[in-house]
Amino acid sequence: MAGSAQKPLELILARNLLTSISTPAFLVDADGVLLFYNEAAGALLGIPFEEAGRMGAKEWGSRFGPLDSDGRRIPLEELPLTIALREGRPAHSSFRIRSAAGDDHDIEVSALPISADAISGAMAIFWPRDHNAGAGGER
Amino acid sequence: MKVKVWGARGSVPAPGPEMNRYGGNTSCVQVTLSDGETLILDAGTGIRALGFALAAGMANINILLTHLHLDHIQGLMFFPPCFKTESRITIWGPGSPESSLEHRVARYISAPLSPVEVRELPCDVAFRDTPASEWELGAARVRAESVTHRGPTLGYRITDADTTLCYIPDHEPGLGASLEGVEPEWISGFDLARGAQLLIHDCQYTDDEYPEHVGWGHSPLGDALTFARRTEVERVLLFHHDPLHTDDFLDGFLDTAIDRWESLGGAAEQIDAAAERLQVAIGPARELAPGQL
Repeated sequence: MAGSAQKPLELILARNLLTSISTPAFLVDADGVLLFYNEAAGALLGIPFEEAGRMGAKEWGSRFGPLDSDGRRIPLEELPLTIALREGRPAHSSFRIRSAAGDDHDIEVSALPISADAISGAMAIFWPRDHNAGAGGER
Repeated sequence: MKVKVWGARGSVPAPGPEMNRYGGNTSCVQVTLSDGETLILDAGTGIRALGFALAAGMANINILLTHLHLDHIQGLMFFPPCFKTESRITIWGPGSPESSLEHRVARYISAPLSPVEVRELPCDVAFRDTPASEWELGAARVRAESVTHRGPTLGYRITDADTTLCYIPDHEPGLGASLEGVEPEWISGFDLARGAQLLIHDCQYTDDEYPEHVGWGHSPLGDALTFARRTEVERVLLFHHDPLHTDDFLDGFLDTAIDRWESLGGAAEQIDAAAERLQVAIGPARELAPGQL
């Protein structure tokens, strides 16, 4: 029987939480690999996770565009998830993302590290600031 | 490897004439390894009778606690070897950043809950956090991993030569996830159980009872069976019976479990409900075809 490389329990529970909420959210491992995003995030990004699949930090850090208010790309190391993983602390930011369909959405993002014995990953929750997102968390 | 159940009840001891066949004692399982060493899984009230039954000359005893809920440690204070000076007892359990395992167990074995303190026990007792990686106890290689329950809780995988036992008495792997569809790497306890010759697993609730108990840390029958099927274990022993479930109820529950197990492609002889004094001998792994139970 092939090994399953089972995830640490804290990541399993985080994924189960994300699956159960209607607020868009990401889950990455300690290396920044995107392990999962939920249905609400899929609606915001224009592509469900089942189609997008896992991707490394560089890919997710550029694929959905994180852009500042002037339309410039935000470096990966300045994104909340990266800060949460690197510095082991919560991080919050506002920026613009671009969906697979080319729609722009202004969002706020809060990221927090997940640790048991050591930091095993991080999760980020997105709050859309516009009304195009359709997912939970609109205001 | 031989397995003997000394307590299969969950939550709280449930003595009474209507509980005689499955028993009212809480979690405790004796594992006899190929070299004759004994491991004890959990120290619920069942451990008291086990202590009386152990060979008089047995000095080295390893007790593996899954967690520190009372139904898994309540018998510790009444375990006869604890009161023998020649006993050397090692108690393994989940680590905590807050306090040592000894300190946490001593919250129970101390005044006003207990007439004795841990330091007063005449035996030589040591408390050890389970290692992060596999370790050896006698002929066995033991692995402990955190599993979904309320509070820090371990499951154990015990391998002696080619034979593997998995013990996850308190487990709610289906909480927030559908066990049918989710990938194995996202199933709590999957690697502990996969391919084991015997899985002893939480099955506290019927599927009808479960909606009232979501998040309590225990499995309904459907999830217990799905977990067993997905991990491709050879046999499964349903464990941690609800204290309200009488012998007659559990007889019917097991009939239902067998029917459902067979509908999943399994055989009736692969599944049973744990009962006090039940003994199971398990042997080496058989070759499994993909998808075969």
